[in-house]
Amino acid sequence: MEEYLKNLPDVVETIKSLKDLIITNIVLIGQIPAPTFKEKRRAKVFMERLAEFQVDECTTDGYRNPIGIIRGKSSGVKPPIFVVAHLDTFYEFYDRDLIFNYRIRKNSITGPGILDNSVGVAVMASLPVIVKELDLHFESDIVLAGTIQSIGKGNLRGVRHLLKTWPTPIRGGICLEGVELGRLNYYSDGMIRGEIECSISEEKGVMHKFTPNAILILNEVINEILNLRLSQRPRSRIVIGKMSGGANHGKIAYDGILGFEIRSDSYKMVKSIYSDIKDIVEGISHENEVELNLKTISNLRAARLKFNHPLVKSASSVLERLDIKPVSKSTESALSIFLSRKIPTLTLGITHGENYYMENATMEIEPMFKGIAQVIGVLKAIDSGVCDEQQMA
Amino acid sequence: MNSKWLEQNTFHYSDFKDLKRLVEEKNKKNLKISLCLPTLNEEKTIAKEIIIMKSELMTRYPLLDEIVVVDSGSTDRTRKFAREFGADVYKADDIFPDLEKFRGKGENLWKAIYITQGDIIVYLDADIKNIHHRFAYGLIGPLLLFENIKFAKAFYDRPISIGRNKIRPTGGGRVTELVIRPLFSLFFPELTQLIQPLSGEYAGYREIFEQIPFPIGYGVETSMNIDIYKKWGLDVMAQVDLDRRIHSNQDTKALGRMSFVIMKTFINRKEKMGLIQLNEEMFDEMIQYNLVDDRYEPETLKLQGHERPPMIEIPEYRKKFGISDKRILKPV
Repeated sequence: MEEYLKNLPDVVETIKSLKDLIITNIVLIGQIPAPTFKEKRRAKVFMERLAEFQVDECTTDGYRNPIGIIRGKSSGVKPPIFVVAHLDTFYEFYDRDLIFNYRIRKNSITGPGILDNSVGVAVMASLPVIVKELDLHFESDIVLAGTIQSIGKGNLRGVRHLLKTWPTPIRGGICLEGVELGRLNYYSDGMIRGEIECSISEEKGVMHKFTPNAILILNEVINEILNLRLSQRPRSRIVIGKMSGGANHGKIAYDGILGFEIRSDSYKMVKSIYSDIKDIVEGISHENEVELNLKTISNLRAARLKFNHPLVKSASSVLERLDIKPVSKSTESALSIFLSRKIPTLTLGITHGENYYMENATMEIEPMFKGIAQVIGVLKAIDSGVCDEQQMA
Repeated sequence: MNSKWLEQNTFHYSDFKDLKRLVEEKNKKNLKISLCLPTLNEEKTIAKEIIIMKSELMTRYPLLDEIVVVDSGSTDRTRKFAREFGADVYKADDIFPDLEKFRGKGENLWKAIYITQGDIIVYLDADIKNIHHRFAYGLIGPLLLFENIKFAKAFYDRPISIGRNKIRPTGGGRVTELVIRPLFSLFFPELTQLIQPLSGEYAGYREIFEQIPFPIGYGVETSMNIDIYKKWGLDVMAQVDLDRRIHSNQDTKALGRMSFVIMKTFINRKEKMGLIQLNEEMFDEMIQYNLVDDRYEPETLKLQGHERPPMIEIPEYRKKFGISDKRILKPV
């Protein structure tokens, strides 16, 4: 492994020689819109690319997650290593015939969804060629999975199903995200994302002496939530992230939706706060005689690797060898599904970018090559056995 | 009418997706293939087209030998981007600088015959948003795998772009259905089998392109179809379904101007071939009207319909390619 670490800068140069192919994959895959639950077209292109690269096996699982497998030398003896990237993008506009129009410049590519997560998927699709070009041979099978139904209401169903039904133990995993290069996520907080929907029928509004306003009702809910005392340990917080409602400036709002997220080191604490919010919702609904509904959009249990887990330490060494400063934060993504199944896993970012969730999301091309080299480095580390002995926290 | 042509000479791009086989055929026949992209202010899409073609059809499968951009004098960064991503870039005006200068797609295509090296030339528009290497290999396939086919033309199910980043399907092909198909039906019924005779993507052997004249503007596809058909017959032609092509929509007035040029080209061709006789000269102005305040004001566009002669008649060309006598491709 030490020898391999030394050679990582050369790996970057070899990956750079495949620049055209990687950019081609970003364009061909990323231009196909894939909002959550409508990933079929993108999955097809992803599979086509893997097939063109003559990956050893190309299939879908029972949940239609597209999967490619690079066979290892000890396939069937050593458990496989997983690389996953979610196929779905935040961008919800969808039409069967729509494609995004990505624009390429000397050192950047611009287009909707490119950072979350077209570049992650495209890099994963490029791995069979990169591995071949680097003349790498792994002991384990490398399973490349584009997971569907990850974002928002998808609630990571694709990756949950993939891991639940995979027939063998899994040696370790890497989750790929477009940005930011340097992220080294090895833990995830417990989390519940919820929505509070307020609706007042117009007919009922007329019966009220003071017609309730859905936005003001939700405002009351927010005030009550902000009054909650949150524990310092385990660390907990509530993010009020989204709000919408009403029809126009001069009309009382008859409907409104509030989106929030509860996070904590402890899932028990998350559930306790959720229960408090439920009480608030029921109380305000009763007092104001309005319909207020609370529903869970997605949830995750807290899970983590120890800071000194060999996988984390090896990944840090890989990043540092490539002059990438590792940054560790909690992430609420596929990582937590792996970790909750006791599979040592990390989330890595591929490059830098800006305007993440906008139509003109832009990725930088040059840093991507180091980003890919770190993935190769971490794959080598897992294949050399860093996940085999240690138990997870 | 040879109505079997539609069945026998119509392909789908997936018939040619075995790129390894295409490369083998190309090498066996010792051929070179050039891709030409005619451009005018295409900075939004040009880099994408070049990089995808280079990656898939030069690096991974050496099917193309060169990518050439012939630019009509873009005022944006088309030429800069094309150069940065590895294409050979020419300004149309710099090729045959002593000839009178014209601006138009046909002019670029004609000049590309001189500056490219390939035995086969593939022409693709440079504004294809959903560019994929199938656009090139789909057209090259029939030329390599069928001895009789010397010219292949694309057809599509064509959605039209409606905004910067959003695209949805509408009719498309209005000029085809309202102008060219009725004309073909009246005068060349066999050519109605071309699903999209005006598609801007085609490939052919040099011997074909060098022996036909090129109108400089919109009429180039119309005249190309008629000239190849009249000179060598329908059997040297093929059409390939390239699936979807997403392009920018044009307003009705622009389509009107396009139709004007196409009709003029068509009638000129008929007259040159001695198939019709005009008793008086046609006008060369397209007149359209705009409502300005409460007045109708005419907007006149002069379209002279210049045409370049067959390239093989140009001495510099004959010298460059060592042609002593006119090469004539015998009908199959």
